[in-house]
This record gives sequence, structure tokens and C-alpha cells, in this order.
Amino acid sequence: MTAEIQIESYLTTLRLHLGPVTLAEREEIVREIEAHVRDSAEESGATAETILARLGPAEELAAQYRDGLLISKASRSFSPLVLLRATLRLATKGLSGILVFFCGIFGYSFGGSLVLTALIKPILPANTGWWYNDGHLVSAGVLFPPPAPPAHEVLGMWYIPLALTSGSLLLLLTTFLIRTSLRVAQRLQSKL
Amino acid sequence: MAKLRALPAGEDQPDRWEAQLRKGALEMAALASLWQGRLYGLEIIRFLENHSRLVLAEGTIYPILNRLKSEGLLTSEWVEAEAGHPRKYYSLTEAGRRRLRLMAEAWTSFSNGLSKLLEPVLQGKVSPQ
Repeated sequence: MTAEIQIESYLTTLRLHLGPVTLAEREEIVREIEAHVRDSAEESGATAETILARLGPAEELAAQYRDGLLISKASRSFSPLVLLRATLRLATKGLSGILVFFCGIFGYSFGGSLVLTALIKPILPANTGWWYNDGHLVSAGVLFPPPAPPAHEVLGMWYIPLALTSGSLLLLLTTFLIRTSLRVAQRLQSKL
Repeated sequence: MAKLRALPAGEDQPDRWEAQLRKGALEMAALASLWQGRLYGLEIIRFLENHSRLVLAEGTIYPILNRLKSEGLLTSEWVEAEAGHPRKYYSLTEAGRRRLRLMAEAWTSFSNGLSKLLEPVLQGKVSPQ
């Protein structure tokens, strides 16, 4: 009975720490580890404690699953959240990972704000745009109140297509950059 | 040569390096264990114990199998056994076979090259002044 409890608690910890996997994947992983424990016990008659010790801590096992799955799944994903989470993991592995992570943060937030302000422009036309004074960019974005004269907004309604295009391009570029780096990381990981 | 001797000689350095080396080879070894046909996790672990000296924490093999599967190099199926519970069997896909062949070629040429490079080092060890 104690053996059953030990195994159950190991599997529960594993299940808890597997993170962002689908329910089906999670159950399949837990089922496979459970089969391993049962088979090992039948094969060698070893105690549950020994078998679980040989498997390594449940948290560590879960972390290994997360590393492998997250990166390989994210390299095929378009979701900024999934991609950023994968780069965050990459960032813990080295300097280039940190660089990719910060490029990702910058790309998504800057690209996202450009698109967002393009959508706000029709609602708040006087507060949104690019303001110039003496040939210098004074301010850009959505501002309350808008910069006072002599600064003047230069783009007018052109702001919408320009911000929309450049914002979308930046978002696409960021996605492409992260996916490429994840693929490279994956390849490096799978080679010696 | 002087450069080689200048490598850090900290006690834990070679161990860590060796652990990395084993870990890196493990993925190829897992694929290779399935070359002859399908096996389930514990069989793969035993196969590796018997055919290589890649002694491993038993847990490490499962996340690797999982990833290889998500990369399309392996497929898996649950098979009912007399043991009373089903087992998850893995087999190589066509892509897995191709990848393993490439890995085997790369590994062999890599290790042949290195062996030549290391020959003098090993001979030096066998016959110290």
C-alpha cells in the first residue's frame, strides 16, 4: 500500500509539473511512466522507492519533457505567447537565447503598439500620429493631450496604412526570427 | 599540444563533459535501438545498457522519445500485454531511418577523425617517460 502511495504521489507531481501540454499528452506521459514503474517492479522485484529513485525526481523528469516539447512545438507555432515562453526557456541556456528573448519582447511590443495605434487613429484622430517640429520627430503614438504647436502632426489619415503595414511586418519578422532561432536551437540540441 | 595540457583540470570538469557527451549521444542511441524493430521504453533502456555504456538515469529516455516522436522520427502505439497493463511501443518512421543513417555516418567520420587526432595522446598515456 505504501508502494502504491509512493507511485501515486510521484505521478501526481509529474502531472502537476508537466506545464503547457494538452490533457491527452499529459495522460499519455503519466500512463507511460506508470507502465515503466510496473514493468520494472515485475522485472527485477525492486521496491517502488528504488525504481522511482532510478527515474530521477518527478520535477526534473517533467522539466525534461517541457524542454523538449515546448521548443519543438513552438518552432511550428504562430502564437506570440507560446513563442515567447519558448524563448524564455532558451534564454536560460545562454547568451544568444537572452538576445532572442529581448528581440522578441521588443518586436512584439513595438509591432503590437503600431497596429494598435493604427486602430485607435479613426477613433481619436487628433491624439494619434507623428508630430514634427523643425524637421525633428517630437512625439509619436496616442497622446493626451496632443503636443502643442508649433509641433504638428504630419501623417494625417496616412498614419493608418503606414502603422498597420509596418506594425504587421515587424510582428511577422519577430515571429520568423523566433521560429528560426528555435529551429536552430532544436537542431543543436538534437545533434551531439 | 601545450594548449591541450592547459585545459582546466578541475576535478568536476571531465565528469561534466562526459555527461554532456553521453546526453548528446543518447538521442542517436535511442533511434539506433529501434533499428531492428519496435520496443517499449524499458526495453530500450535495457537494450542501451546491454549494447552501449550509456548508463543513464532511467527517466531521461522518456522525454527524448517523446520529443523524437513530436519531430516525426518515431511513431508509437499502445499494445495490450499479458502483464495486465498496456505498453507503449515505439518504431522508427521513414524520416527516422533517414535521420539515423545520416547521424551514423556523421558520427563515424567524426569519431574516426578524432581517434587519429587523439592517438598520440593515448600512446603518451600508455608509455609515460
